[in-house]
Amino acid sequence: MRNRKSLKALAVSLALAVSFGVSLTPVHAASTEILVWADENRGPNLSKVIAAKGDWVAGYKVVIRTFSSFDALKAAVDAATDLTGPDIIIGANDWVPTGAKSGKLAPITLTAAVKAQFNASQFFDLSYKGKLYGIPLDINNVAMIYNTKLVTTKPTSFGDMVTYYKANKVAKGLKAGLCVAGGGMSWGAHGVFSALGADAYLMKKDGTVNYGQSFNPSVFGNNVKTYLLDSNKKSNGFFPATDTGCKDNFLAGTVPFAVIGNWEWADYVAKGFTMNLMPVPGATAGTYGKMFGSVNGALLTSYAAKHGSEAAAKSLLVNLFASTAGQVAYQTYEKRPPAEKGAQSSSVISDAQKGFGSSASLAGIPQIGAFLNNNKGGASYWDSAPAYWTAVLVDGKDAVKEARKLAAIWKTNVISGQADL
Amino acid sequence: MKWLRENLWRHVVGIFMVLFAIFPLYLVVISSINPSGSLQVTSFIPRELSWKNYQMLFNDPTIPYLTWMKNSLVISVTVAFLSVVISASSAFAFSRLKFKGKKSGIQLLLLIQMFPAILALSAVYVIMERVAVFAPHFGLGTQPGLLLVYLGGAMGVNIWLLKGFVDSIPAELDEAAKIDGASAMQTYWLIFVPLAAPVLAVVSLLSFIGTFNEFILARLFLVDMGSRTIAVGLQGFIGGQYSQNWGPFAAGSLIASVPIVAIFLSLQKYIISGLTAGSVKG
Amino acid sequence: MVAFFRGKLAFTLKVILLSIISALLILLALSAFGQKQYVIGIFIILVVFGANFTYLTKVSIPLKFFYPGLIFLLGFVVAPIVFTLTMSTYNYKTGNYIGKTEAITQIQKLAIEPDASGSTFDIIVGKYNGSESAILASDTVKKQYFIATYKERFDLNAADLKLNQYQVATQAPNFTALADSELAGADKLLSTSRFFYTSEYFVALEGFDVGALYRQKLNFLSERDAFQNISTGAIYEDNGKGNYANLDLPTEILEPGWRAPIWFENYSKLFLDPKVREPLIRVFIWTIVFAVSSVLTSFAFGLLLALALNKPIRGRRIYRSILILPYAMPSVMSILIWGGMFNTEFGAINQLLGTNIAWFQSVTFARVAVIVVNLWLGFPYFYLVSSGALQAIPSELNEAAAIDGATPRQIFSKITLPLLLRILSPLLIASFAFNFNNFNLIYLLTGGGPKSTLDGDIAGATDILISYTYQIAFGSFTQDLGLASAISVVIFLLVASISLYGIRKSKVLESFV
Repeated sequence: MRNRKSLKALAVSLALAVSFGVSLTPVHAASTEILVWADENRGPNLSKVIAAKGDWVAGYKVVIRTFSSFDALKAAVDAATDLTGPDIIIGANDWVPTGAKSGKLAPITLTAAVKAQFNASQFFDLSYKGKLYGIPLDINNVAMIYNTKLVTTKPTSFGDMVTYYKANKVAKGLKAGLCVAGGGMSWGAHGVFSALGADAYLMKKDGTVNYGQSFNPSVFGNNVKTYLLDSNKKSNGFFPATDTGCKDNFLAGTVPFAVIGNWEWADYVAKGFTMNLMPVPGATAGTYGKMFGSVNGALLTSYAAKHGSEAAAKSLLVNLFASTAGQVAYQTYEKRPPAEKGAQSSSVISDAQKGFGSSASLAGIPQIGAFLNNNKGGASYWDSAPAYWTAVLVDGKDAVKEARKLAAIWKTNVISGQADL
Repeated sequence: MKWLRENLWRHVVGIFMVLFAIFPLYLVVISSINPSGSLQVTSFIPRELSWKNYQMLFNDPTIPYLTWMKNSLVISVTVAFLSVVISASSAFAFSRLKFKGKKSGIQLLLLIQMFPAILALSAVYVIMERVAVFAPHFGLGTQPGLLLVYLGGAMGVNIWLLKGFVDSIPAELDEAAKIDGASAMQTYWLIFVPLAAPVLAVVSLLSFIGTFNEFILARLFLVDMGSRTIAVGLQGFIGGQYSQNWGPFAAGSLIASVPIVAIFLSLQKYIISGLTAGSVKG
Repeated sequence: MVAFFRGKLAFTLKVILLSIISALLILLALSAFGQKQYVIGIFIILVVFGANFTYLTKVSIPLKFFYPGLIFLLGFVVAPIVFTLTMSTYNYKTGNYIGKTEAITQIQKLAIEPDASGSTFDIIVGKYNGSESAILASDTVKKQYFIATYKERFDLNAADLKLNQYQVATQAPNFTALADSELAGADKLLSTSRFFYTSEYFVALEGFDVGALYRQKLNFLSERDAFQNISTGAIYEDNGKGNYANLDLPTEILEPGWRAPIWFENYSKLFLDPKVREPLIRVFIWTIVFAVSSVLTSFAFGLLLALALNKPIRGRRIYRSILILPYAMPSVMSILIWGGMFNTEFGAINQLLGTNIAWFQSVTFARVAVIVVNLWLGFPYFYLVSSGALQAIPSELNEAAAIDGATPRQIFSKITLPLLLRILSPLLIASFAFNFNNFNLIYLLTGGGPKSTLDGDIAGATDILISYTYQIAFGSFTQDLGLASAISVVIFLLVASISLYGIRKSKVLESFV
């Protein structure tokens, strides 16, 4: 009895449910949106640009989605599929090789006129196997700043800085001599590696990579011993193995020299520092440690084609991101050095930014992700570089022996990285 | 003398542990009033005192701090309430009903908790991305979507904890009900739920805290500025590509922890008895 | 009251509630089917049938209690586990990420090369003779103008055209431009369209107003499921591992690949590839050490405190209020603060101790730091549960023992502690399971480091299995979800069997389960 009643109720409820369900079927409109994903800094600024002028691509609405942090953006980019993924990602140049290899990014071809507005090496940063995957947006580079309240003469060699440190360590309560405040112990610290003789790869005079050679580990290792270690083979305190607290200490006047990033110069100016920028001076007077410069780009995804907005996304890349007007509008808020040449000469660019530019042109090295991201040697540049500092400055391992390992890793990475160029 | 012998060690242990517990918190307070925005301790006594970081949280239009707080509270309260409502009945069944496969069911539940669920991140993302396609209000990027995922995640732990609590409630009461002819459902609603209310409250408090703290899923799910939770919003201060703003982070965390600490302190007696009730058999 | 739960009204209410829920879920399922999300749609339908079946029949009473919880467990815990299991049999990593059909589309799209001079045109998209899709193209440098359809190209004279100030043709005979509103709808078609230039070259769109000249390098032979290089004739066939590989040179593969089933290759790699196996074993051992010592230290300190404060001494309330603060603070916050405190040069710990220890760069110190922080996070919980448990132990027991002449130490070790352990063992096991997968702590505190990268270390010294797996699955440059899934599954089997064996052997849970 009860069972039959239950079955009846079941039938009734299902019938109800189905009729209710059928009466409402969702309607989907054709996509006239271009979805752009960006991090917590660039996203809000791009939104301001779009709010001021929305018609960068006629007939389309540009939607900016801002993630809570750069890490969150990266995690979402990794997890996304074409179902909800973006048409354009504002991301680091590092993301290009992996994204392209996995088929998440799509290539774009630019007209000669657009290409002429950028430096060729910036396109190189955003290319994989000869195809371009995005538009260079802003430039990230570092330079060394020195505190004129402490150091009166501009150092000409690495030794000058060490001498100053040793002489004034106690009197001025210095916590370190030189430290890396911007870009971390791998990217930011390349200037220091290079100043002491260890370049991630060597370039020929004509600007091509010298595959036959890598840095000389005994020269580098002995420089490390001379300048960074004391007689007990322990760190002499001149160069800390981590970047934590570097910025604060420089600002507090307890570290005279620091490698800083061009995205944070305003913090230094606000504390009353003048932008005495230069590359890290080399072991031999008159030489300089070479520093990386990289670009962040607006990258085209392969999802755009699936969403039916690829042509529109390409138009947006050209009209907004690759145009002087677009980059000026954006950098008015973002205040990083723009990649586009017209925007570079615009008045939104500060003198400090120009200081970074000039020290980069004095001692810059193109940042070739294919070599630096490669880990065929056992670890990528990004992982092995900080490990060297730890091994020598913290664990007290032999500077030359560790340098040999480092040289071997980097050499293998560069050689096998050729395939990804 | 006797007092000393009996109680001195108690105070020594107590003071030592209090110092250990409070030291990092003291540093948070200092950083939150430090205008330089760094975590570096130049001295243990603050030299400068500034409300800059606090003002930033409430006055900066790009930091909808109060909205984050509201989102966190809404999500956490909902999860805390619903997850306990749902898991309590399962816990009751595990504890009171006799059925085949009960023992393996409990063991299975324990084992599921041991699965390294970090890869579930991509699985959950894929699932919710698909849901977003046909039900945009429950999928990826929405608070209800995140809520569903949290409910799923909380289920195992809560059933496991609640089962322990339920065991501690004397069985005589519901057996008496059974003799009176009540069905299992009736026993559950009329006898068990009122009896278990205190422990249910404690478990929901634990769920509340767990949800309030979660940020790995939340940062993937809640992208729009206005829909973020406090953990995601705060993590954004220090998860930047280039810079870390410890000052507002410290200030924001301090304020965010006020409600939880307040609940804890006001209910501490209750929580202690609730927490252990689960493991102590009557 | 009881009568109410049995009455007709209750039954009607139940049916109405069920109907509403069923209706909503079926609505969801239908829209899932509408969007081709069949698996989820079927799952929802099954949930609906299950619910009606469970609550309207009397087949299983326990199921009525389990059902809602079960659905959530299935949907958000078991389904991801099944997903992980499936992934573990796939070649699913950087380079092999998308589906095969998408990969073929992408390969075709990438297999085009521009002409030698990289010619591009300013274009206008429109219709030729009112119906045929076409572009009006201008090369403003060479003063070349033409209309191209899919099949033909018509060269035009500048004189017949209307040019704008940049010398770009805007109007031409027999050509009607698409309005902006039409462009948006045509995007999908346009971005795959190839407009005729010569028999070899074609023009493809690079945005709505730019076109570039390309030729195809690879042809897809669909009947053979292979690609052929048009100029060299080389054949690229499906190599069964998610890539098209050159028949004569198997290492030469086309990118991107797709995720392809490779069955047990990820598992065999775990055991056969020393580069994968050795770090895994080390990480596993440390994970156990970490989880056990975290539980033991937190429990020991928590218990000590509970014993100390088990008497109503002066200030007990204040102690208690402060002692539970670490538990009540958001842990993300406290972990990050601890990270700052352990900094070598500037951290509070070194300042306090007057030392210069590089905490996170040295293996031993980093491990100590991790456990100390976890102790800070964990001891309040054990303090709370232990003091509760202490109060629950009948005081007659202790008194009786004291009368029998037992010393306080004997009472503690012979009576109190065993009882406590018995009471708290489920919580200890739960805490072990939690710490075994305590991702947040490691990820936020040390990131798994330190790592002797120069000596070839892949895993960091404080990496626990879950953080190591996370690195493999979501690392910055190479991601291997397949391998990471296989690791997860193996870890799970190991832990599950150890725990099951432990439970059966020790009978700790006998009374509990």
